[in-house]
Amino acid sequence: MLKPVPLAPSSSAGYNSPVPPVSQTIRVTVLFFGRLKELTGHPEHSIEFTDAPTIEHLFALYAARHPELAKYRSSVVASRNQEFTAWDTPLRSGDEVAFLPPVSGG
Amino acid sequence: MAKLPHDDIYQLVREPIDMAALARHVRAPEDGAMVIFDGFVRNQSHNRPTLYLDYEAYESMALAKMREIGAQLHEKYRIHRVSVVHRLGRLEVGETSVFIAVSAPHRAAAFDACRFAIDTLKRTVPIWKKEYFEDGAVWADGELPPAPAATPRAKPAS
Repeated sequence: MLKPVPLAPSSSAGYNSPVPPVSQTIRVTVLFFGRLKELTGHPEHSIEFTDAPTIEHLFALYAARHPELAKYRSSVVASRNQEFTAWDTPLRSGDEVAFLPPVSGG
Repeated sequence: MAKLPHDDIYQLVREPIDMAALARHVRAPEDGAMVIFDGFVRNQSHNRPTLYLDYEAYESMALAKMREIGAQLHEKYRIHRVSVVHRLGRLEVGETSVFIAVSAPHRAAAFDACRFAIDTLKRTVPIWKKEYFEDGAVWADGELPPAPAATPRAKPAS
């Protein structure tokens, strides 16, 4: 039998509260490839939001941090969970978004 | 998406592509033709001598897109087996970067399917190459994959 663990002060804050605290956090994984990876300096990044952003919002956020990104906006396609997708697509928690420059395989 | 035959091969590799082994696999007794596309590293780009190329991919998505191409081939053409293999990493001049083989009972379908496969791969599979020259390196000009323009929205109820 486990001994009862006394409640830590922080965890007692919402106790007996009529509405349980609801987490609205949306966590998205963002991937960059090719020259976009070089511009941002990271191939993979995890980011959290309190409201669901669209892919366009997400790109704008990174473009604000890395101004050189903005000039590539018209030559980038986006994918969500490994499918090409529209820029106005809203994101859900757990989504994997990638920003892809023009492809040049072969 | 149609289910792919078990004996098709779709791979991303970092070692040299064994074209002979792949061709032996794709070429079956019930077929009468096999068309092979061997894409390899050219020694120049826009008249600048190329030292080598470096390929990278969004690997999980690239593989999914290669398999999608395979499914399209089987839907569109009367073919038998397909192999699509792309190599990643550093490739020297003359080395094979992409290998596609398609077998079929008759040649026309094999030619058409092989052409469709390489054209579609170059437009839709998330792979990139960086070209290295004596005096620097550039990302190769590529093609922008077709993506949905905007998400279709349900009309508001009236």
